[in-house]
Amino acid sequence: MAPLDRRTLFKALGIGAGCVAFSELDRTEAATLEAAAGAPGLPVESWDKAPCRFCGTGCGVEVGTRDGKVVAVRGDEQSPVNKGLLCVKGYHLPAILYGADRLQHPQLRQPDGTLKRISWDDALDLIASKYREALDQRGPDSVAVYGSGQWTVFDGYAALKWVKGGMRSNHLDPNARLCMASAVTGFMAQFQSDEPMGCYEDLELADDVVLWGANMAEMHPVLFSRILESKRRRPTVRLIDIGTRRTPSSDYADLYVEFRPGSDLALANGILHLLVKQGKLAQSFIDKNCVFKRGEEDLAKIGYGCSGEQAERYTFNDTPRDSSLDEFKAFLEDYTPQRVSEISGVPVQQIELLASIYGDNKRKTLSLWCMGVNQHVRGTWMNNLITDLHLVTGKICRPGDNPFSLTGQPSACGTVREVGTLANRLPADMVVTNPEHRAKAEKLWKLPAGTIPDKPGHHAVDMFRAFQRGELACLWIQTTNPWVSLPNLHRFERKPGDGRFLIVSDVYPTPTTDQADLILPSAMWVEREGVFGNSERRTQQWNKLVEPPGEAREDAWQIVEVARRMGMGHLFPWEGDWHEAMFEEYRSFTLGIGKDLASYAQLKTTRGLLWPVVDGKETRYRYAGGHDPYVAKGRDVHFYKAKGYGERAAIWLRPYHPPAEEPDAEYPLWLCTGRVLEHWHTGSMTRRVRQLHQAVPRAYVELNRADALELGVKSGDLVRLRSRRGALELEARVDGRGKPPRGSVFVPFFDESRLVNELTLDAMDSISKEPDYKKCAVRLERVEQRS
Amino acid sequence: MKWLASLAIAALAACGEAPADSRKLAVPGREGALKSSAAVRATRRLFDGAPPVIPHPPLGAACTQCHNALGMDVPELGFAPPSPHEDTPGMSALSRCNQCHVHAFDEGEFVASTFVGLAQDLRRGERLYDGAPPVMPHGTAMRENCTACHDGPAAREELRCSHPERVRCEQCHVAQREDSSFVRL
Repeated sequence: MAPLDRRTLFKALGIGAGCVAFSELDRTEAATLEAAAGAPGLPVESWDKAPCRFCGTGCGVEVGTRDGKVVAVRGDEQSPVNKGLLCVKGYHLPAILYGADRLQHPQLRQPDGTLKRISWDDALDLIASKYREALDQRGPDSVAVYGSGQWTVFDGYAALKWVKGGMRSNHLDPNARLCMASAVTGFMAQFQSDEPMGCYEDLELADDVVLWGANMAEMHPVLFSRILESKRRRPTVRLIDIGTRRTPSSDYADLYVEFRPGSDLALANGILHLLVKQGKLAQSFIDKNCVFKRGEEDLAKIGYGCSGEQAERYTFNDTPRDSSLDEFKAFLEDYTPQRVSEISGVPVQQIELLASIYGDNKRKTLSLWCMGVNQHVRGTWMNNLITDLHLVTGKICRPGDNPFSLTGQPSACGTVREVGTLANRLPADMVVTNPEHRAKAEKLWKLPAGTIPDKPGHHAVDMFRAFQRGELACLWIQTTNPWVSLPNLHRFERKPGDGRFLIVSDVYPTPTTDQADLILPSAMWVEREGVFGNSERRTQQWNKLVEPPGEAREDAWQIVEVARRMGMGHLFPWEGDWHEAMFEEYRSFTLGIGKDLASYAQLKTTRGLLWPVVDGKETRYRYAGGHDPYVAKGRDVHFYKAKGYGERAAIWLRPYHPPAEEPDAEYPLWLCTGRVLEHWHTGSMTRRVRQLHQAVPRAYVELNRADALELGVKSGDLVRLRSRRGALELEARVDGRGKPPRGSVFVPFFDESRLVNELTLDAMDSISKEPDYKKCAVRLERVEQRS
Repeated sequence: MKWLASLAIAALAACGEAPADSRKLAVPGREGALKSSAAVRATRRLFDGAPPVIPHPPLGAACTQCHNALGMDVPELGFAPPSPHEDTPGMSALSRCNQCHVHAFDEGEFVASTFVGLAQDLRRGERLYDGAPPVMPHGTAMRENCTACHDGPAAREELRCSHPERVRCEQCHVAQREDSSFVRL
């Protein structure tokens, strides 16, 4: 469509001036309109494959280009992920590249607060000198990099190698700490290897699909379509939605189970209790394949990371010990349906129904979860409990029978979890605390032994707390917007002249670039070559298709150039186009250990492949005989990665703990935050697409009709939401697309002008250190009536 | 058609839109009960191939009540075009219409855009000779229901088919793929 001036169009249509129907337009006006609509379009010059830029689903798109610009996309019918379908964000992808305010040149903040354009050479020299100065004067604990689950594999790998292998610091953490770290610690605790065993094919093969804290209809729309289609084809398929708020996903569910925030821990234990009592344990599966584990359970020792000393540094470490089936049974005695019902508010009958679903070995069960489980003060525990349900029933590693963690960012898996851009990790499941792992990395990187420090760096929230305290002299943020997405945002307000140096690489101005001393323009998506890894272990490669605007450059290039200027060029020894060489070096970490990635050459010619890829063949089901080449001969299931557990999976005993903050007389409502279908994360991309912006132009607060009546609030009224940490004025929505139960409200977090994270609490999961954005206490006040 | 009815019911239950929304629309639509044309079509898409925005306010009913296999004449609103997705294999889930189609309220822009999308290709399908059936000048993914655009009151005049009673369109009109040139190896 040619750009159509709306005023001209409206004038032509008579809209706003008597609403004249188009059919009544005279020929001249019709001709004007026709001309404005553009000449007959020329076909695109080329359609090329790429994964979508947004969520962790990893839909394939074909990108249409003409005259060096992206002009269209279409769903890739060859992609096994989406089979040609996209969601509204995906269909509007091309416009995210062309917001009028794209960052095009490096800009340095001046003493008066203004920004001055500088050259790349000056910018890169300045970063190198700032990091060098910090390292020389204050050591590796004074430098940090904050990355992203939207980083390509190249960006993440370059950052990891530079920070851990070059600067000898582990202060590298990503925004993915805020979204799926609990899934990482969950899988690691149970299988000693990250990421799910199943794949998206499970969506069609399952008889019962159970959503735990996941609004897939809005957050993973294309995968949700696959579930709905499966339901249509096989009417016996059931969808069960377990959540704290009715969402568009609940509308399609055969059973909606609503629990009090945080009580999912009790609910899952209640289901386990019934499975034990009803003799539904898969005894021979457990005997052959499982061990039992138990960790620290004392609330006083664990805390929530948001009060007392923990409010500055949260370093709790779990202390696992061996447990047993007997202890497991005794532990579950407390979780009777009656007690669980009292804690959770879920009727006994529904708990029994859930137990009958997980306990039915004739029907295949797929559990799916996302932010409700991960952004949880006991998120790792909740991950463990969901997987426990599958381990104790043996409903795992079989097509259609699996626990499956969904991710929210396009390469949360490929870059953060697999490359290992977390403060404690190295590539392919390795951690900095393990001497053998450090030695392997040092060998592959040709670095002297002892280069990589053994102490984990700051996790995301602590990184920003340390920055605030002045412990970090230099912080470089790439591809993320923490001054919108961090919890309890008021804590992180910067004071001018604080002596710290903050660099932000991004594609548009954001509240985070507003905080930066140096802003770098990044090339995004098909403006550069890249690799993403999606939720189902699919590694997807794409080529650069168009030139980035102005002087924008890809994040990995920025890092490599700075490293070279710091005398660390040996880390990146390749000349010319280094993409394939860098990928193949990274790939060497993955080979022969069940994390095997496909060769770059193979990735270039396919619509992505599910690792482990052995002899060029992908693996749809990990640990499953007949699917996974690493499984020992004759075994149906073999958890070969869990060397520390005797190649068995761990069933964890995890108790119920209450949330960090609960409603009281002063703040009587629960606040839950999240996304909406039309906007992705902090909205810095989707809000620049008119169609998406117009659909949801600003954040709002959803509330229950009964609460609204009691408070005298109507849809459209301006209300003030207040927590112990901040206040925010928002438009009220009653019975919107989501319906929060009585005593709770929901606010989306995409709107940089209405920052709900000024209200949220920086309480965290004890093991993953992922913040809980789903539970804190607020009150709601009327501001003015709708005019 | 039984599943269709059940889908419509599911969609009705699922629609859940606020019935009264007084916000202005950003695209020509309800007020004018517009006659279909290429120009109007262009105003409702980011680029040719993008899903159209919804040019009327939320009506509080399931989309498929009116946008069904045949379309429906809606008093005061005009003719609701049929859904082109009715025959899309594996796409029943499109009953979740808002997954791809959003309402276009006049909210202005957050930031202006310089994007210029693919314009409509208004060229007609080629014919091998005068009298031969034209090939389809577009792909059919997500628009398998040909009659949605080629028949009925909502069809643009220039696209209207002279023989809608011959149900199996692809028997004579074939889609063209870009890479379809035949090279003998």
